[in-house]
Amino acid sequence: MNSARSILLENTVSVLYWIMLGAAVWLLLRGHNAPGGGFVAALVAVAATVAHALVAGTAAARARLLLGPLSLSALGLALAAASGLPVLASGQPFLTHWWGELAVGAATLKISTVMLFDLGVALCVWGALGGFCLRLLGSTR
Amino acid sequence: MAHTAFPIAPQALWLRWAWLLPLALLPAVVALPAEPASWSVSWVAPLGIRLGFAVDGLARLFLLLVCVVGAAVLAYTPGYLHGHARLGQLVGLLIAFTLAMIGAILADDLLLLLLFWEATSVLSFLLVGFERDSPDSRESARQALLVTGAGGLALLAGFVLILLAAPGLRLSDLAQLDPAVLVQPGFQAGVALVLAGAMTKSAQFPFHFWLPGAMAAPTPVSAYLHSATMVNLGVYVMARFDEAMGAVAWWEGALLSIGTLTALWGAMQAPRERDLKRILAWSTVSALGMLTVLIGLPNELGALAFVAFLLAHALYKAPLFFVAGNIDHATGTRLIDRLSGMRHAMPVTALVALLAGLSMAGLPVTVGFVAKNSMKAAKEVSDVLWVVEGASLLVSTVGVAVASVAALRIFFGAPAHPAGRAPHEGSWRLTLPPLALAAIGIAIGLFPALAEPLLMDAARLISPTLTRADASLETEWLLRLESFAIVWVIGAFVYAGWNHLYRILDRLRFLDRAGPAATYGTVLHGLKHVAGVLARALQARRLSRYLVATVAATVLLCLPWAFGLAFPPPVAISVDAAGVLVGCATAILGAALAVRARDTLGRLLGAGAVGAGSAIVFLFRGAPDLALTQLAVETVFVVVAAVALRRYRQRQGAGAGAGRAGALRAGVALVFGLLLGAVLLALSGQPFDAAMADYFLAQSVPHAHGRNVVNVIIVDFRALDTLGEIAVVMLAALAMWPLTRRPPITRTSR
Repeated sequence: MNSARSILLENTVSVLYWIMLGAAVWLLLRGHNAPGGGFVAALVAVAATVAHALVAGTAAARARLLLGPLSLSALGLALAAASGLPVLASGQPFLTHWWGELAVGAATLKISTVMLFDLGVALCVWGALGGFCLRLLGSTR
Repeated sequence: MAHTAFPIAPQALWLRWAWLLPLALLPAVVALPAEPASWSVSWVAPLGIRLGFAVDGLARLFLLLVCVVGAAVLAYTPGYLHGHARLGQLVGLLIAFTLAMIGAILADDLLLLLLFWEATSVLSFLLVGFERDSPDSRESARQALLVTGAGGLALLAGFVLILLAAPGLRLSDLAQLDPAVLVQPGFQAGVALVLAGAMTKSAQFPFHFWLPGAMAAPTPVSAYLHSATMVNLGVYVMARFDEAMGAVAWWEGALLSIGTLTALWGAMQAPRERDLKRILAWSTVSALGMLTVLIGLPNELGALAFVAFLLAHALYKAPLFFVAGNIDHATGTRLIDRLSGMRHAMPVTALVALLAGLSMAGLPVTVGFVAKNSMKAAKEVSDVLWVVEGASLLVSTVGVAVASVAALRIFFGAPAHPAGRAPHEGSWRLTLPPLALAAIGIAIGLFPALAEPLLMDAARLISPTLTRADASLETEWLLRLESFAIVWVIGAFVYAGWNHLYRILDRLRFLDRAGPAATYGTVLHGLKHVAGVLARALQARRLSRYLVATVAATVLLCLPWAFGLAFPPPVAISVDAAGVLVGCATAILGAALAVRARDTLGRLLGAGAVGAGSAIVFLFRGAPDLALTQLAVETVFVVVAAVALRRYRQRQGAGAGAGRAGALRAGVALVFGLLLGAVLLALSGQPFDAAMADYFLAQSVPHAHGRNVVNVIIVDFRALDTLGEIAVVMLAALAMWPLTRRPPITRTSR
């Protein structure tokens, strides 16, 4: 497929890649109150990974999955599971989420283990589906 | 067997001393109370399954056999397979088998018994197939597993029926069973299935054939499993049920006829073999038949004869198997035609064979004689059919002949053995354990009082009314000497004519073509054949065919039901639903493109447009999260599939809907689409239960601090489900990983 290079596509994707990842982060952060969330964020990130693989090769796209697809996926799963642990200390059931407030200057920021959970979902799906797509693309000749 | 061909592995300490393990259990077994005692703890409470164990006289006798013969086997094995690379595995399996047997004997709860019973079947499979490089050995192991495994299923079904008829019934309750339960058809059907299961385990006709087949096992395994312990598990269960079922008409008739047939069949097949081990195996089949007959005898003495013969058989058959093993070990053959005069080279083995042979032939001052005497006494008391009487006479004479073959033919006469071998006695491990077993047999023969309390306690479990006055083990034998002498004399003639008998019985070869073993082979082969025919008929190996078949079957199944659907009244389409209309139009155009497109890429794009169209519909119907997800999935899918499919040959030309096959596919798809649409339409007319939705809408902000209810459900209310789902996603990636191992595409092309 890469016998011919498309300069236009390559340059577009190299910018689009970061825009898509930014969109993924945005979807992840707003997910609790507006459409979005970890799973959609992960799908957008997968689209970014696939786009990058199409112009730069699967190895390059794979290298950008930081730990490697499966490890990234495992890390996400571990994060999601770990987010349910702190609350056990107060005697509540596993995965009951903890909420707190953090003062940042004049504003207060609500923080929660829910964020950690959603991040875990995103990383797990990104790693697994991204890895899956890369393998499928990589299996082409 | 060329064991020296294996690399010599240093024998670990535990291998050398493993035999002390069952021996160490022996004092505990002896110290067990003769009075029944039980111990139980709840296990699977919802199903009422308990870890219930019980011990009584019968269990104690079996435990003694398992421990004594187990110690002999474990002492023998390291000597027999000295230097075998997988000796440790064999010893480990034998220890596991010992524990499984002990569990099966002590189990009081029916399903617990089944558990240990199956454990012995599986371990038997592993032990028989120990020489895993030999196809013969593997086939025998599979046969043993299939036959006894089927029996295990029958046992399970039987136990379930029994527990339905008598909830919570334990083995120790069988003695005081309510007669009202006993007459229930369900209970009786259950017992019949239990009997079938016990028949497979104890190699009763027509399930006997796996036992001679299992002679592919290493000798210590045969001595342990196939003479003294596992095959007795079936008769053990029959004996347990005998007291309760004694009053039922068919029970004793069934036991007597099955046992007689088995005993006769075994006695008839033994002279047809030339391999000493297989001769012994057939005589074991015969003995198991006799044990079944003895359980079926309706009087107290039958119970005593049963336990006495059980003990005697274990004490002479296990040593004889060891003898066959020693001969094989020393000469490399077990064919009786190639062996004689072995007593010069192997004096101790000859002594073992002689002592065990005397016992098997039932000559005085042996445990075999004690058993024969009590069997005779039992048959005198009850009116047994002449068939049973005649059969037992025939079986006894063949037993005498088999004993003579093992003890005399091989060890006396002019020395002969296969050339190139210098047979000699093995280490103490090969001689002392069998000698010890045979010596115990002689000791009990000399002093029956030694075993009397043990046997009486065991027999009383089957016949509680048995008293010591009924049955002294040594009385009146002089009166029966005449009938014993008849057996010995005829047996001697059978032995003398052993070779003639072989030629005569060889004419029965036609039986092999129609016998149970042949039927087993036919059924197994037929199963494979049918599976092959079905697979070839059903597997078209084309995805499109599978899809058409699946969808068409779904349509056919659902169509009659769809005619009964009630549809809601039509509603006018409002203007604010314009977005929905745009979505629908996109989906329809996409579908048309997918059908009409002439190449894969076009079809993929069409399918993608259908997905995009539905995403638009979701967006305008208040499900932006769903729309987002759908759009992202469709995009990634189309791109990845388009690239991945490039490697397949493009089928240019006609679209998917062309040709006769295409017309069929189009018709099926159309009907399926209409059906699904109708179902969805009908569903939308159903009253909507908003309880859950209202709950989540109300609780989302106060409890989970989130206004996006969809996300709140995913990450908070149902967080555990989500955790499981992402774990599945990761597992799926792991599963496909090895399937797609290909070189990656590189930027600088091929």
